[in-house]
Amino acid sequence: MAKPVVEKRYKLSEQVYLWELIKGMGLTWKHFIFNVKASFRPEPHTIPTCWQYPEDRRPIAPNFRGAHMLMLDEEGREKCVGCGMCAKICPANCITVENAKVPEGEEAKYAGKTYSKTFTIDWLRCIFCGFCEEVCPKGAMMLGPEYELARYTPEECLADKSMLLANFHKAKQEGKLRPPREPVPVVGAAAKPGEEKPAASADEKAVTSAAKPKVPVKAKPKAAE
Amino acid sequence: MNDLIIALIKVVFIWVWVLLIAVVMTWVERRGAAMIQDRPGPNRAGPFGLLQPLADGIKLFTKEDIIPAKAKKLLFILGPILFSLPAFSAYAVVPFGDKIILGGKEIILQVADVNIGFLYIVALGSMAVYGIVVGGWASNNKYSILGGLRATAQLISYEVPWGLALLAIVLVYGTFSLREIALAQQGTFLGILPNWGVFKQPLGFILFIVAAYAEANRVPFDLPEAESEIVSGYHTEYGSMRLGVYLFGEYVNLCTLSALIVTFFFGAWHLPYINMASFLGPISYGIASFLVFFLKVSFFLWLFVWVRWTVPRFRYDQVMGLGWKALIPLGLLNLFLTALAIQLTA
Repeated sequence: MAKPVVEKRYKLSEQVYLWELIKGMGLTWKHFIFNVKASFRPEPHTIPTCWQYPEDRRPIAPNFRGAHMLMLDEEGREKCVGCGMCAKICPANCITVENAKVPEGEEAKYAGKTYSKTFTIDWLRCIFCGFCEEVCPKGAMMLGPEYELARYTPEECLADKSMLLANFHKAKQEGKLRPPREPVPVVGAAAKPGEEKPAASADEKAVTSAAKPKVPVKAKPKAAE
Repeated sequence: MNDLIIALIKVVFIWVWVLLIAVVMTWVERRGAAMIQDRPGPNRAGPFGLLQPLADGIKLFTKEDIIPAKAKKLLFILGPILFSLPAFSAYAVVPFGDKIILGGKEIILQVADVNIGFLYIVALGSMAVYGIVVGGWASNNKYSILGGLRATAQLISYEVPWGLALLAIVLVYGTFSLREIALAQQGTFLGILPNWGVFKQPLGFILFIVAAYAEANRVPFDLPEAESEIVSGYHTEYGSMRLGVYLFGEYVNLCTLSALIVTFFFGAWHLPYINMASFLGPISYGIASFLVFFLKVSFFLWLFVWVRWTVPRFRYDQVMGLGWKALIPLGLLNLFLTALAIQLTA
């Protein structure tokens, strides 16, 4: 039912306009005084609705998906085994992983028997969906709290391994590392193995575990601990 | 020769002072607007963003000066000058303080005490609209010309009540000299009130201030600009310092109008119930009267900003309606009542 149109009858005081004007000015005065008082406070966040950006930032959500980080385990070893599942699942096709066997004498640096020789993420293509984090069987990939990703040249937007590790160190130093995400329950488990096999075959250990997806995701970090 | 130097110093002083007020007003306007709208406003340049006008000035001066290809060049250049010149020159007859005695010489704090100062101001106030119309016409742009046309239509609807309000003041004080009007407001009125024009002419004050807002093209009567309807009105095609001159002229205009309101209705440099001349020395009295005057002026300058961010713009026909159907009859009534009161009390 349509709302009947009621023509507003203005009172005389409203028609004269002057009194209503003074009432309106009282309202703006209240806002003015409140904000003037607030702006004399020393902290950067003074006016409640405004964030003075570089000094004063909004808190980010606990599951915020910012710049990628390559995780290290408790002993400071790289968790990544270079299986390439993240590269496979990436909808924007922005991850490039080159897999290699851990060279002799460097076992202390890597958690697995293989490692990622190169690991490049093209931040110009990345859509920050977080699939790489979800799919990683070792919990080696995580999207961190960093969101200031503007750079001057496109080359700087290619995040290589050192940058991804640096992101991890920075987040750890600032205490912004969040616990790993809960694994997403898989609905169509039958379709998954065939899809993941070629990618997973890069790492022998991952092949066996990837047959039943997601379970090892939870199991492996615990084993590492 | 000595008088000439004194006059020159007064001219330069008040010119610089008014310019300074206009500069500070751009900051006050922006910060005031921000505070009313729950945001901080420009707060990066200098403490509290006080250097923002400087940054704006540098920006306006270094921008490319564009004259549109189809614009009428001479008029286009003339527009901002015609707009800001009357605003500056109107200040010549406004007293900005009582007097100061330096070296046994009495200096009146007013550039020129003209005995027809009143008419001078009315004439120059109407001149400013030429700047808008010429600028709007010369831009060769439909929004600009609409802005210019609106300015003229607005002019004829507020100039009459403005003139009527002024006539009532002339009846009360019996003089055209602004200094004499200011001097006449000393002491008390009816025993309790300060002897200010606002208590003798309450209706006249309302008429005058409404017309003053229209004269200054300020919200709620900023129809020539009306950025939400006709882009930017008469200065749509203007950029760089030409736009700067327009905006500057507007603030100088505000300053002049506030000074007029204070002179006519708020006792110029007189404090209520206190006669400063009785206990202050000749030099300190001059300075004090100047400061008191500009304290009052700054309140009305702030009122311009305050009203701007409170009231929405009037529609085009509503301004006409307000001018012709409300303000002019009220102005005539005010004139009649004033004349009657003077006849009965005389």
